[in-house]
Amino acid sequence: MYPVFMAQWMKDKRKPYIILLFIGLSIIATLIFGDIDRIEQTTAMVYSTEPNAEAVEEKWLEGLNGHETIDFIISDKEEAHEQVAEGAIDVAIHLMENDYRLITSSDMPNIQIVEQYVHKVFTEEAQLEAAAGDGNTEKLRSELDSYLENPPIQVQTESIDGGEIPNYDMGMQLLFGFTLFIAMFTIGFKVNGISGDKVSGIWNRLILSPVSKTNMYIGHLLYSFCVGFLQMLIVFLIFHYVMGYDLGNLSMILVITAVFTLSMVSVAMLITGIVKTPEQFNMVYPSLIPMIPVISGVYMLPGTISNPVLQFIGDMFPLSHGVEAMTDVALFDAGWNDIALPIALMLLIGVFSMGIGINMVERRK
Amino acid sequence: MLETINLSKTFKEKKAVDEIDIYLDDGESVGLLGPNGAGKSTTISMISSLLKPTSGDVKLNGKSTIKDPSEIRKVLGVVPQEIALYEELSAYENLHFFGKIYKVKKGFLENRIQEVLDMVGLKDRQNELVKTFSGGMKRRVNIAAALLHHPKVLILDEPTVGIDPQSRNHILETVRKLNEDHGTTILYTSHYMEEVEQLCDRVYIMDHGKVVASGSKDELLSILSSEDTIQVQLSKSSDNLLEAIKAMKPVRRVDETSDGIRIISKKDSSILNNLVHAAEKEGIQITHFQLEVPSLEDVFLHLTGKSLRD
Repeated sequence: MYPVFMAQWMKDKRKPYIILLFIGLSIIATLIFGDIDRIEQTTAMVYSTEPNAEAVEEKWLEGLNGHETIDFIISDKEEAHEQVAEGAIDVAIHLMENDYRLITSSDMPNIQIVEQYVHKVFTEEAQLEAAAGDGNTEKLRSELDSYLENPPIQVQTESIDGGEIPNYDMGMQLLFGFTLFIAMFTIGFKVNGISGDKVSGIWNRLILSPVSKTNMYIGHLLYSFCVGFLQMLIVFLIFHYVMGYDLGNLSMILVITAVFTLSMVSVAMLITGIVKTPEQFNMVYPSLIPMIPVISGVYMLPGTISNPVLQFIGDMFPLSHGVEAMTDVALFDAGWNDIALPIALMLLIGVFSMGIGINMVERRK
Repeated sequence: MLETINLSKTFKEKKAVDEIDIYLDDGESVGLLGPNGAGKSTTISMISSLLKPTSGDVKLNGKSTIKDPSEIRKVLGVVPQEIALYEELSAYENLHFFGKIYKVKKGFLENRIQEVLDMVGLKDRQNELVKTFSGGMKRRVNIAAALLHHPKVLILDEPTVGIDPQSRNHILETVRKLNEDHGTTILYTSHYMEEVEQLCDRVYIMDHGKVVASGSKDELLSILSSEDTIQVQLSKSSDNLLEAIKAMKPVRRVDETSDGIRIISKKDSSILNNLVHAAEKEGIQITHFQLEVPSLEDVFLHLTGKSLRD
């Protein structure tokens, strides 16, 4: 087993680029796609061209600057238009006495959020003014604020265990999803080494040697496991310690990673058994693998995929179970009991795939 | 030492090897000749325990190796037809890997690697990656990898296919030394007749999965003792002349070759007069006439009706 393991290591030591590339891809993909959900602070310039521009700007700025992620700053028309045209800011707002116009250069997700918020502020103000009629609007506003401090109906939401309901972090799901997905490629290409050895005749040489067949398989599969696990470990450590992502209980995440890797090594072994040559594997595997996260719903919010057939196909691969267990740990502080089912399912997939895969490889002439 | 008894292998409906009996004595060098598809590689796979026979047996020192192949694997070195090496590793690293696989003791492995590299003439190139080697050099490392554990029997499956003459000579010389100087028993398969003639004490000729003839070189040549082989070159080719020669009574076979025709006729039958007469009649000149000493190639042609490289 040891020489087989070491021979694979010696080969990769000379050409580590693929693994390094996959590690880089995991990080880049997570940063690009995972950060969509993490809204950055948006700046919006406001200006007025009314005769009493200063008063209009001050009136609305007080109401607008209550949003957590949007900063409204006063500017003049030319500067605001220039900043939008240059792309330095996404949106500027032309304020009027009782109306507004949004100035943008492109339709970005942030603009919709700004538009919704500004619309809400203007609508509330219009309602207040309508309610006050000819009376004092400021007086009505302070009365309303003091009334809402003790509203007649109070609604409180809490989680099933009495705690706060956490926000679902799609970015975290994508982090796990991309990391596991890209590691599936590394694992598959390493397991394909068995087919390569068979075709080149090295496998026959090993059969004739005193090394047992079990040890030959273990040498290859253990190496594939270690490389896949190491790749994911590096990505998680970078996100956890360097980029400040809170992955929750890291030791639990690593146990799930290990079980997922084991299961995926088995799935790759099954595909090795189904195809006939390493070239066929290199064609089939990269075509099949990108479909798995889509079917498993890794790129979507939980519950988006409701088709039972797709759900069943997705459940046959370890990716959905791995991502589910990891997000449970990272977002909802899940314990061992909570992740026991996905872990058991991954192990079950692993046992079946490995058994059938090795059997098919051995039967192949 | 090593023998096969009624060894057969059937793939689906096709009989690849059909009840062949082969034996190898200790220290002997035996050739297995046959064209592509004759069943040589299948036979070798069964002898080396890589493939289970459909029927028959392989015995090493009287003990069957089918049920327990461990004994034969200990004494066997197999040089496969393909380059069974990691191309991304150097020659030394490959040999180190196979040495470890064959459990060559740590203290001896280093010396043994240098010994086998010396044997195949690649000691000074040992640290270069195999993928940078020529086809001939790769084949030499392929042989070296099979020698690390001091095998008593070495099976070589067409080890000189597609290589340059220099590497070919080196490989043949290495095999000869292994047999003569180290007493290694050799089973050498090839479809190059001259290699087998040069290296082997005895030869088995296979065709369509069967052994069609066997024996020492002289024994095989005696098959043709009742025939003469005549090589004739003509000023131009003619179908009429070919038919006229075929019609001559002592002539058993006429084949067109690249530089004329080859006639196999009854021994000591003088056909020269008739041949000259027939050529004159067709207005064709005989530019060259040679009575050839029969070779194993002729024996093969006689037995199978085709040349070795067909």
